[in-house]
Amino acid sequence: MKKTFFHGIISGILAALACIIYFKIYQNTLGTGFNKIINPGSISGACIFGCMLMAIGYWLLEKFNKEKLKGVLNIIIALLSFASILSPISMSLPLDIKNPELFPGLVIPMHFFPALAFFCLVPFFKGKSMTDKVKHSE
Amino acid sequence: MKKIIFPIAIVATMLLSAFTTINSVSWKIADGYSVKFTSDDPSGVFTSMKGDISFDANDLANSKFNVTIDVNSINMGNGMKNTKAKNADWFDVEKYPTITFTSSSISKSSTGTYEATGTLNMKGVQKQITIPFNFTNNTFTGSFNINRSDYNVGTPGGHASSVLKIDVSVPVTK
Repeated sequence: MKKTFFHGIISGILAALACIIYFKIYQNTLGTGFNKIINPGSISGACIFGCMLMAIGYWLLEKFNKEKLKGVLNIIIALLSFASILSPISMSLPLDIKNPELFPGLVIPMHFFPALAFFCLVPFFKGKSMTDKVKHSE
Repeated sequence: MKKIIFPIAIVATMLLSAFTTINSVSWKIADGYSVKFTSDDPSGVFTSMKGDISFDANDLANSKFNVTIDVNSINMGNGMKNTKAKNADWFDVEKYPTITFTSSSISKSSTGTYEATGTLNMKGVQKQITIPFNFTNNTFTGSFNINRSDYNVGTPGGHASSVLKIDVSVPVTK
């Protein structure tokens, strides 16, 4: 549980950092002003929440000794990340915000950062599974 | 000497009265104007407008509006909607980049507001319309409805509302 918690929180923080850096670069390069819609606080919250959800999924699979399904869970996480890009594409921004066509370009890459950070850190938090422990005790 | 006093007085009076007429009615469009259209769907704004405004509440006969809106400046809050609005089915920006309104007469209604009657040219269709408006604190404000099908904007029916409410607010300076 402790290992899964740290996996979720650390990957969430890393994803949030990547998103905020991308957010700053995008805003400064293209001169957009989407601060009314998203800000570092909301970005951090969303990243940590997403990574904690993934961690809970991993923890449940480990708890019920279904670790072979982690691959399936990874695919589901990737598909959900991909499906979530529909939201910024179809979103209508307040009319006083200029260049709304640049908003998806800002937000869509961010939707993949939590999954990317979580998957990157998997090897660092890979403990022995229940099956391994049983084999080891034999 | 006496012979030229009256001719000079006549010319001077005419010149002064002419300048008075010119100076009293010309206005420049100031920053902060807005042209909004609202309905159940779609809603948006045009962010670029220019024009010549001559208005004097005491001389409505010589008052006139000639306003041009840049259709490319449409903003509906969504990039895909903006692109769709500019295509041939809707505003067809390549062929018709502007919407113009040229007034032919301005009158004062019984309720105290003003009414500008003139020609609205949108997507190549010219129709006479009357726009009720107020003029207070150097700002023109008005609201009126337009049926987009009258101007061949978009396909008739469908999920998009046919009648759109237009709200105009134009601050001006002399």
